[in-house]
Amino acid sequence: MLEIDIKHVAKLARLRIEDEKVEMFQRQMGDIIAMVERLPEMESRVLPVDRANRMELRKDEIKPSLRRDVILANAPETAAGCVVVPKTTES
Amino acid sequence: MNLFEYSAGELHKKLLAKECSAVEIAESVLERIDACEEKVGAYLAVTGEQAKAAAAKVDAKIAAGEEIHPLAGIPMGIKDNICTKGVTTTCASKMLYNFVPPYNATVMDKLEGVDAVMIGKLNMDEFAMGSSCENSHFKLTHNPRALDRVPGGSSGGSAAAVAAGEAVVTLGSDTGGSIRQPAACCGIIGLKPTYGSVSRYGLVAFASSLDQIGPMGRTVEDVANLYSVICGRDPMDATSARREYPDFAAQISGDVQGLRIGLPKEYFGPGVEEGVRAAVMDSIHALEQKGAKVVELSLPSTDYALSAYYIISSAEASSNLARFDGVKYGYRAEGYTSLTDMYERTRSEGFGDEVKRRIMLGTFVLSSGYYDAYYNRAKLLQKTIAEEFAAAFEQCDVIATPTTPTTAFRLGENVGDPLKMYASDICTVTVNIAGLPAISLPCGMVGGLPAGLQLIGPRFSEGRLFNVSRALEQERGGLCAVAAL
Amino acid sequence: MNYVTVIGLEVHAELSTKTKIYCSCKNSFGSEVNSNCCPVCTGMPGTLPTLNEKVVEYAVKMGYALGCKINNVCKSDRKNYFYPDLPKAYQISQFDIPLCEHGYVDAIIDEEGNTKRIGVTRIHIEEDAGKIIHADPYPGKSLVDFNRCGVPLIEIVSEPDMRSSAEARAYLETIRSILQYLDISDCKMQEGSIRCDVNVSVHPEGSDKFGTRCEMKNVNGFSNVVAAIDYEAKRQIEILEAGGTIQQETRRWDAATGTNQLLRSKEDAQDYRYFPEPDLLTIVVDEDRLEELKNEIPELPNVKLKRYMTQYGLPYFDANLLTENVDKAKFFEDCMALERCQPKNVSNWLLGDVSRILNEKNIGLDRTSLTPDKLCDMIALIEKKTISNTAGKTVLEEIIFSDKTADDVVKEKGLAQISDSSALEGIVQQVLEANPKVVADYKGGKSNALGFLVGQCMRLSKGQGNPTVMRELLLKALG
Repeated sequence: MLEIDIKHVAKLARLRIEDEKVEMFQRQMGDIIAMVERLPEMESRVLPVDRANRMELRKDEIKPSLRRDVILANAPETAAGCVVVPKTTES
Repeated sequence: MNLFEYSAGELHKKLLAKECSAVEIAESVLERIDACEEKVGAYLAVTGEQAKAAAAKVDAKIAAGEEIHPLAGIPMGIKDNICTKGVTTTCASKMLYNFVPPYNATVMDKLEGVDAVMIGKLNMDEFAMGSSCENSHFKLTHNPRALDRVPGGSSGGSAAAVAAGEAVVTLGSDTGGSIRQPAACCGIIGLKPTYGSVSRYGLVAFASSLDQIGPMGRTVEDVANLYSVICGRDPMDATSARREYPDFAAQISGDVQGLRIGLPKEYFGPGVEEGVRAAVMDSIHALEQKGAKVVELSLPSTDYALSAYYIISSAEASSNLARFDGVKYGYRAEGYTSLTDMYERTRSEGFGDEVKRRIMLGTFVLSSGYYDAYYNRAKLLQKTIAEEFAAAFEQCDVIATPTTPTTAFRLGENVGDPLKMYASDICTVTVNIAGLPAISLPCGMVGGLPAGLQLIGPRFSEGRLFNVSRALEQERGGLCAVAAL
Repeated sequence: MNYVTVIGLEVHAELSTKTKIYCSCKNSFGSEVNSNCCPVCTGMPGTLPTLNEKVVEYAVKMGYALGCKINNVCKSDRKNYFYPDLPKAYQISQFDIPLCEHGYVDAIIDEEGNTKRIGVTRIHIEEDAGKIIHADPYPGKSLVDFNRCGVPLIEIVSEPDMRSSAEARAYLETIRSILQYLDISDCKMQEGSIRCDVNVSVHPEGSDKFGTRCEMKNVNGFSNVVAAIDYEAKRQIEILEAGGTIQQETRRWDAATGTNQLLRSKEDAQDYRYFPEPDLLTIVVDEDRLEELKNEIPELPNVKLKRYMTQYGLPYFDANLLTENVDKAKFFEDCMALERCQPKNVSNWLLGDVSRILNEKNIGLDRTSLTPDKLCDMIALIEKKTISNTAGKTVLEEIIFSDKTADDVVKEKGLAQISDSSALEGIVQQVLEANPKVVADYKGGKSNALGFLVGQCMRLSKGQGNPTVMRELLLKALG
């Protein structure tokens, strides 16, 4: 059966799984994947785009934005009209 | 009878006849909450003062001789994953413990438009992931019909509130059975509408392609009325369908003469408790007595539906829940040393284990090298399942199945065994996978606990489902009674 | 050993729609921080995207302009990654079915107007991210401004068809002028409305196998692209020369130092977990709408430039400047349609005095009263020698902001040139008498003294004397 690299997946998802829980996650996700493994092989490999499932597009018309204090009201940390985060390294 | 025990339809008549005021109705429900909330635990927030103010406005309208909507002044509870402007919307997660949306979900705007009275926000499984309400970060909700049992989930608070008389009607959301399964567990009615018929704008997304908001109540008429208000095209939701909807409640006849009821054999297999099967078949026979015909059929891909469901819903959830990172709203961990550390601490501390498990599963099935084996295969299977249903609806008008294979289990019974927990969704997930409407109705008691009958129809056949439901409701003797607490 | 440099570019251009790509907030640059934001573009829970139809149409136009196949039935996909400037933690983009693919750009690579065809792999639509601000008063912290979140972008991905930084620059300049012609992007580099990811590899001349490529992200400005390519090619060649091998990696270009540094290696490559965006349905552009959009595509600047060189015999310099801007090119062509004067003369006036006046006032042609008719009347008067070139300048100043015609001004100011030799002989006589020393110089062999005398004659005639006639009369008188 497929061994899921729990630590790698957790890193991708920005989660930290405590060491004592790795085994539990491993087993539970393994069970789910085992169930999934039973899925039949499908003939067609590519999902076609469904033209009938057509989307109505939005007109290019401006609507008012929200006030800045409203936009930032839920943010854990703000300064100078911006959301504050620990220093980023890229860019 | 106390005011909180009546249906919305009856309360509306009382309001029109001036036998009671909207404020009195709100007070009756608020008193009921005070009296039994300690035992039930359905609410995460009760907005009593706002409710009374909203009710007073309705009374003023009545006094002024204005026409009022059938749901005006009706106290209702809202699942806590539906955004309510100025009122916390937590998704029962530590992650959003303090989140106050600066906007309303479209359904809330619609409800405000008809002067419905919001009474509070309801408990649920964290981010709607679960089948028992036990995944709430804040509290347990007890089944009002048997307090040692789960109310079902994820809309457990919505179902329990209706069953306990703590709300006349409620809104829930259904991604894989989250309205129908708790409705069945609590002995009330719950509708999962056709995908695209109710706007998802403002519903905190779990699995975008499967989620639908839906109504729960104690009469078919109430559920139909609430559905009529919330359905309709919303320009804010690109997946909402452009079409006209009738006044569903006005069209319910209860006539099932000549109706073809499909019974798919895969839904009556050995996993289904004998008592539940018998209760469901009793209802089918009652419909036959009223002129309906039974058609035996097969939906062979059902066996794989649960797998496809967990892949698709987890994949979408892993992406939908990535925005909870401690930057813009909600919980932010303390003591972090860098940006990545802040992300990881926040998400690890803010999410419960079930949510983490699904995010992990979803991240895994979308990750490089696994996409085709899992996600793509599940999407192909989804198409097959939808096609099987379409073919089945050439032979029948509605499909009847049990809503859940068993009655409500004991609190704590299935915690820590996700597969066993997931099995309770086995009869409901296919409906979401195929984007169909389905309604769960009480169909009798099994060992002192309610059992549920599920009726599934073709896309946009809610009117037909209400009709069949009314036939059964008449058979059963009307309103689902409020639980004695 | 000699090396071949292979370059591929991913150009991100911001589209100049009124609203953002997935919400109705204003799409504008330079507003106060977090002032053009709503629950949708800040990724609040429960919000949903709605696709702006103009974004699709602009991208289709660019697709047609670059000779692409248009996938008028396509979809959106999510690209998942965590970063504070991306509030949803995924970017709505397009993965396996871009709106446009298989196109090309004929970039003009030299002053003879020779072109090189550079393949365009795909054009897709996506949303921009916000802006991260590092400010001194907040050490150890970054500030996030979400205004740019949801600004519509097209990403234009080229084939690895360029072989020098000069070709890359020519490609970028062509892309920019096409965006401007289509009026779908502001193309302001300093505002970051065009940004580039640059892919570079090198391989020994004669080898048919490409080297391992490195990518540099977010290189802003054409001259930075050139510098970044030259730097990276040199870096790779030095590694190879030293017997090393190139590692596939992403590097960060530092414009301040003119160098680049490792950002992440192939092993740390991001796993974006693309999957179809479930909040959006199928994008469908009807066939008749496609036809309409196709018909809206004007003659493109690179094609126009070559035509100006061949059809009008203009040098590259003139053709390039005239085609730089749609309005100027249209004005020029309207002049040509009148068939009243020489192309080169029209070009000289447009690029010379007309441009000078516009630049001084910092306005466009549309803010003047100049019409092709009025300009050509004036130039025709010069060509017919009715007025001198100098008088022409006076006429232009008078007609450019008024309703007057060239004829009006010539009459009003008496600027008509005098070519009648009998009328000019008196002037010549006066000048010769007043400058005996210059006459002596000329006769002594200083032939440039003639120019001085012509100038004096012109002065005395108040600019109206025909200089050619004047010169002939002087030569005759000087024997």
